[in-house]
Amino acid sequence: MNRIYVTKDDKIEKYENHLVKLTLSAAHSEEAGEGEIVGLEPRRLFPVSNPDSYITLLDEDGKERAVIRSYSEIDEASAATVKQSLADYYLVPKILRIISKAEKYGTLRWTVETDRGIIAFDIRNRNHDIHVMRSGFVRVRDANDNRYIIEDCNKLDKHSYALLIADT
Amino acid sequence: MENLLKMLLKNKELPARALPLVESLAESGDKALFAIVGDMGLDGKYGETTLLFTAKKAVLCDASLEGVREYLYEDMEDVRAKRMYGNATLSAKMKSGKREIFFRYTYGVAALCDAAALFISHLNEGKSFNEEYAIISVAYEKALSVCPKCGRPLLHPGAECIMCRSKKKIVKQLSKYILPHTKTLVFCIFLSLFTTFMALVPPAITGFIVDAVFPGGSGTSTIPILGAIKNAFQGEPKKVLTAMIILLLSTYILQYGIGIIRSYLMRMVGNKTVAALRNDIYRKAQYLPMKFYDKTSTGSVINRISGDSATLQSFMLRITQEAVVHLFQLVGIVVIMISLNPGLTLLSLLPIPFVVFASRFFSKKMRPLYRRIWRRWTKVSSVMADTIPCIKVVKSFTGEERSTAVFEEKNEDWLNMELRLGKIVTAFPQIISFCVTCGSLIIWGIGGGKVIDGVGGYSAGLIVSFISYASMFYNPVTFFANLSDSFQSALASTEKILDILEAEPEIELPNSVTPDHFKGKIEFNHVSFSFDRTKKVLDDVTFTINPGEVVGIVGTTGSGKSTLVNLLMRFYDGYSGEILVDGHNIKNFNLAGYRSQIGYVQQEPQMFSDTIFNNIAYSVPGSTVEDVMAAADTANAHGFICRQPDGYDTMLGERGVGVSGGEKQRLSIARAVLMRPSMLIFDEATAAVDSETEHLIQDAIDKLIEGKTTLMIAHRLSTLRRANRILVVDNGHIIENGTPEELMALKGKYYKLVQIQSMAAESERMRREERF
Repeated sequence: MNRIYVTKDDKIEKYENHLVKLTLSAAHSEEAGEGEIVGLEPRRLFPVSNPDSYITLLDEDGKERAVIRSYSEIDEASAATVKQSLADYYLVPKILRIISKAEKYGTLRWTVETDRGIIAFDIRNRNHDIHVMRSGFVRVRDANDNRYIIEDCNKLDKHSYALLIADT
Repeated sequence: MENLLKMLLKNKELPARALPLVESLAESGDKALFAIVGDMGLDGKYGETTLLFTAKKAVLCDASLEGVREYLYEDMEDVRAKRMYGNATLSAKMKSGKREIFFRYTYGVAALCDAAALFISHLNEGKSFNEEYAIISVAYEKALSVCPKCGRPLLHPGAECIMCRSKKKIVKQLSKYILPHTKTLVFCIFLSLFTTFMALVPPAITGFIVDAVFPGGSGTSTIPILGAIKNAFQGEPKKVLTAMIILLLSTYILQYGIGIIRSYLMRMVGNKTVAALRNDIYRKAQYLPMKFYDKTSTGSVINRISGDSATLQSFMLRITQEAVVHLFQLVGIVVIMISLNPGLTLLSLLPIPFVVFASRFFSKKMRPLYRRIWRRWTKVSSVMADTIPCIKVVKSFTGEERSTAVFEEKNEDWLNMELRLGKIVTAFPQIISFCVTCGSLIIWGIGGGKVIDGVGGYSAGLIVSFISYASMFYNPVTFFANLSDSFQSALASTEKILDILEAEPEIELPNSVTPDHFKGKIEFNHVSFSFDRTKKVLDDVTFTINPGEVVGIVGTTGSGKSTLVNLLMRFYDGYSGEILVDGHNIKNFNLAGYRSQIGYVQQEPQMFSDTIFNNIAYSVPGSTVEDVMAAADTANAHGFICRQPDGYDTMLGERGVGVSGGEKQRLSIARAVLMRPSMLIFDEATAAVDSETEHLIQDAIDKLIEGKTTLMIAHRLSTLRRANRILVVDNGHIIENGTPEELMALKGKYYKLVQIQSMAAESERMRREERF
């Protein structure tokens, strides 16, 4: 079975909550065997390395029905729907400031200010759970598997930077 | 005669006893073609023996026998070379109908005797003499490509043996890492000389202060510059003292300030060398043949890359730097001391011969200890490398206490050895410095006596300077004493590192060709292989697989089916016979190009701790996203990857990542698919997964093998339902070869296996039905 890549001829509309409805073009509906698929969940195939490309649309059984190669390949209204859906699904707060850091029995506890407010979380393994890219982009994972990012650690204030860099 | 010997194929020079035999055979018109010079008599005692082969007979010349024995080929039947334990025999059924042993030997010549046995049997079967003689020549050529001194096989006949080459080359090898930094190092030596010179100044000044500044001193000074300063201050003691202190302070500032720069440069060069060395060892380790890893535990290889390179680096810097500096310091001190007072100098040098003697004595004791410590430590880390990754096995068989005990035992061995060394290592410098300080007692005793007596040329200041110099003398002397210590550990590390750096990498012929795309015809021609020369894992295996065939390889464990695949993958090169792919000997192919044409899926899928995407794309770096996704589709892996929160960015081997064994297996199939191989090998790819996953994997395999030559090793015959040909391997031989239907009709081993497995499946089914 060939994978269906969503094009400008296919339409994506909001269905319920973050789920979407896919209306396929004539050619695609022949391939898929149906013209309209509802209750699809857009998911990023590369949420870390390439969040804006290759978005898969999974049905209720978790089966892939179509893939969006990139936003430029689909029409703007559909792209907006997908972006909204993804924004609901993927909650990755941006850390703006590290307020404090404590360490107990090897577990780090950070209190940070994010774009969604102030939160404190534990980091279990600083080697695996804090990834600093060469570009300055930082991914943090807490003990409960929540994700956080720092867009550019070089732009953090001095205090936050010092707290971050001590553990990398 | 000389000509005769030149023509004769032999593994060694013939013993003198055998020479007349060669001549007489030539005179009889049936000249000797090849000779095996053996090392064991028929009675099992060591001794030089010679077995000569002509076109018609074999002649044995054995020191333990009277005269010679002749064996005509036509009298012999079923000639066999039998490898026993530590020795082997050639035997044949003679005319009498009894099996007679006619040659006994150790494994050193076993390969030749194997060839000789085949030679006789083939001639008896009426095969072409010329062809058989050619095979024998090849066997001899091979036998000669070992080092005559140590017996290690060489890269190619006539190559230089790595183990036996001169130690000068070792130094040369290592200097490669130092040479790029020559400029910095020379600059460092220059700086060191400067600091050394600075260090020699203060004792002269303190001596001057005692003699010429303090009241009650002799008032004279042997150092003109300091005297000039004294005159500049009109001899006013306080002012001169201040001047002297400022002078001392500035020498100290210079000495230690330059010391900082020098230390930094040294550290930098040091780190750069160790990085380069480590890179080289790691790179080399990547290209070492599997044979190397069979013999060496991965733990010890890792140890060499991380630990030994650091030891070596520190030593190389000590040699190039500190040794030079200390030598200059030593010379400088001696020169100054002699210029001050030759007599006292001689006295304070008295302990030197003792120091030298002690140093040599201790180094002899320490050398073997260092190697033993290294080996003990490797054992400790081997235990870790073995048991921690296998922790599941340890726990499931409640082996925690046992593995702890093993670890503690090895660790204790290491501790004991360290403690033994500790005694020597700590006593050594102390004893040396004791001797050196005794030198200062001599200065106090004799020099001081002369000062009291008022002998000309001796003053309190002189004694003070002398004591300072003598104590500085202690530094370089202990350094040289300790140098042997670091030299020992460096030597131990060097050996280990060179073991890797100089080990023969996987053999690549110089004119190798990069294969384009295989049609997929595989031929094994008389392939024999053994890991350790004692037991043949494959014995004279011959078969042909046509392009596009799906071949199932079945057989009991240890029958040699995995070895077939290992040879085809070129993990091992030391086999006899030929393996051809599309009619070309696989040894003529470029290794990387050849392997990239074969998709190899192992029983235990091995994943790197990297993202799923990178793990699949490992086979083809730089693959596009859609290629990787297509490969994952084929392998039935895309579905479960989609459902991972991080999709293709999921890091494997991390906490919380639920990737099962079957899923990993599908990832490893995706990895093989991505490569677009022209041949496929599945080594028990479905052995470790449940039936549902097996179904998914089977489906993936079915999609993949379309039109490609495929080898499938399988225990479960259900895996082989797509196979259109089955090879049954048993004890290193192919015992059955044909389509499944043919083999079923044959009612041989395959038939039996099918019976057993369908019976097992049937009873399993019945049991389940009962339960429900």
